Amino acid sequence: MAATAALSTVVRNRRPAFTAFRTAVTRKPGRMIGFGIIVFFVVLAVCGPWFYGTLAVDPNAIYAAPSADHWLGTDFAGSDVFQEVVVGARYVLSTAALAALFTSVLGITVGLVAGYHRGLVDSVLMRVTDFVLTIPGLPLLIILSTVWSFGSPWQMGLVLGLTGWGGVARAVRSQALTLRERGFLEAARGLGLPSRHIIVKELLPNIAPYVAMHLLLSVIAFIGAEVGLFFLGLVPFSSTNWGVMLNQAVFSGGAMNSPDALIYLLSPLVCILLLTLGIVLFLDAVDELFNPRLRERA
Amino acid sequence: MTGFARRLAGKLLAGLVMVWVVVTFTFFLVHALPGKPGDVQYESYIMQGFSPEEARAKVAAVYGFTSHDPLLGQYLGYLGKLLRGDLGESTYYSGVPVSHLISSALPWTVLPVLSGLVVSFLIGVVAGVVAAVKRSSRWGGLLSVSGSLVAGVPSFVLALLLLLVFHTEWHLLPDAGTSDITLEPGWSPAYVGSVVQHAVLPVVSYALLSYGGWLLAMKSSVVTVLGDDFILASELRGLAPVTRARYIGRNAILPLFTVLALSFGVMFAGSFFIEQTFDYPGLGELLLKSIGVRDYPVMAGAFLLITVAIIAANIVADLCYTLIDPRVRR
Repeated sequence: MAATAALSTVVRNRRPAFTAFRTAVTRKPGRMIGFGIIVFFVVLAVCGPWFYGTLAVDPNAIYAAPSADHWLGTDFAGSDVFQEVVVGARYVLSTAALAALFTSVLGITVGLVAGYHRGLVDSVLMRVTDFVLTIPGLPLLIILSTVWSFGSPWQMGLVLGLTGWGGVARAVRSQALTLRERGFLEAARGLGLPSRHIIVKELLPNIAPYVAMHLLLSVIAFIGAEVGLFFLGLVPFSSTNWGVMLNQAVFSGGAMNSPDALIYLLSPLVCILLLTLGIVLFLDAVDELFNPRLRERA
Repeated sequence: MTGFARRLAGKLLAGLVMVWVVVTFTFFLVHALPGKPGDVQYESYIMQGFSPEEARAKVAAVYGFTSHDPLLGQYLGYLGKLLRGDLGESTYYSGVPVSHLISSALPWTVLPVLSGLVVSFLIGVVAGVVAAVKRSSRWGGLLSVSGSLVAGVPSFVLALLLLLVFHTEWHLLPDAGTSDITLEPGWSPAYVGSVVQHAVLPVVSYALLSYGGWLLAMKSSVVTVLGDDFILASELRGLAPVTRARYIGRNAILPLFTVLALSFGVMFAGSFFIEQTFDYPGLGELLLKSIGVRDYPVMAGAFLLITVAIIAANIVADLCYTLIDPRVRR
């Protein structure tokens, strides 16, 4: 009974996750800015396309200067650049989110199973992980684009996830290896709880913040890779997104040499820069949430 | 030293297995392509009036196999040709060996990547030390954020911004090619100067690509070393700051060898974007061009070479780390 009482005090003393999150984010202005940027782009991706259903093409206003009608001017076909940026955000962010989903499912499963079971399963899984980590992801994607046209967010997300789960798997495994020797896991094993219960209910919640950090880092890489594949013109495009805009601006719009097209070229570039900056600044807060040593010092 | 030899053998074996898997992958990729490029070419040779034997021999020279042999035979034949260093022939530039195309593109990737690596190493390591020592001040924080940001921003964004500023806005540097095309290649000062001028933007892009990695790794490494007991002890013994800096530097720089392998991979991957943006005829652009015209033998060869280079860089970095840090040797 004493054990239960002690356990309930521990539970009561633990700060709710939301409060911890809020204090971590509001502690430094940089983190607030980062969080704000991420929220801004997510809102843009979710709500933007509701406002601009189809892109209007106005042949009379090609490369028009910014005005009240066209906030960022128009492109080579007379479409509004601001609308394109907003509509493109949904593709970029949903693909990155799906890729993160596939990565975390694969990476967490492989990492947990390898780290918890050890032995033969562990060494086989880690060999596979090493392989995935060593194979250069981008050249592979470029080669794959010749046989498989992965234009839709689901397909692109799947491909990115399949090539990018190695880092998460290794991080999760190393965490699982340290955690499995801790008291509460030994207790769970001693109680004879099934492996599945231990892995899902005991290990997973303790690894979650660590995974979140790695995921945010890989989201940055995913955004770069997906936009880059469109920029190189390797993926057939069905709708517009930031990569398509860059490809059109540089390789067919001649934006490098005509001042009119400058805003068309800069808009997606600035968006990518801002989003990266937002994630980088926000990572700092996630780092603190995960790392209790940092929390105490501040 | 036996431990080292065993480690070397293990790494080499793992690397070879990896290369073999990649070779198998490229074989089946070319094999499984829609429309069977080899068969199409065979048909066209027959149409041109070649005998079936001649046509088959010509297709085999290009792809390393024809679909008339059994699958295993084709595969073994392909492996055998690769082992002899024969990567097949280009289908786009008819009759030109793939190895020739690759070897003429290779210097334009390797030299800028290596120069970029050296530049970013020097700047990144110094910046990392500053960021670690001043980590509680505003400037140290800014330096760290600059590292994470530059490490996170995609290479084509960096390359495009550089091009925009230094070519379009300021007209300082050229935007395409490796040299002024009116100049005769050679060791004349004008040609070398032109090559250097054309290489500035690609090299800076490569340097920026890996700068963040060096900075962040050096920073966290220095922070760890600063907390070690022997640093405190050296401080208490009253050693000169220069001596202490040497202690810190020698210990902190060790983990950076893992970053070296990582940077190498990142830069090779970045070469697609950087070479495409600056129209620079390196390995990345060769692969992209071959994809554009569906030149499968060149595609497979370039991909193979990039993969082998990255695997080799991983092995070398790992071994360097073992050689330099006696604690890893066990």
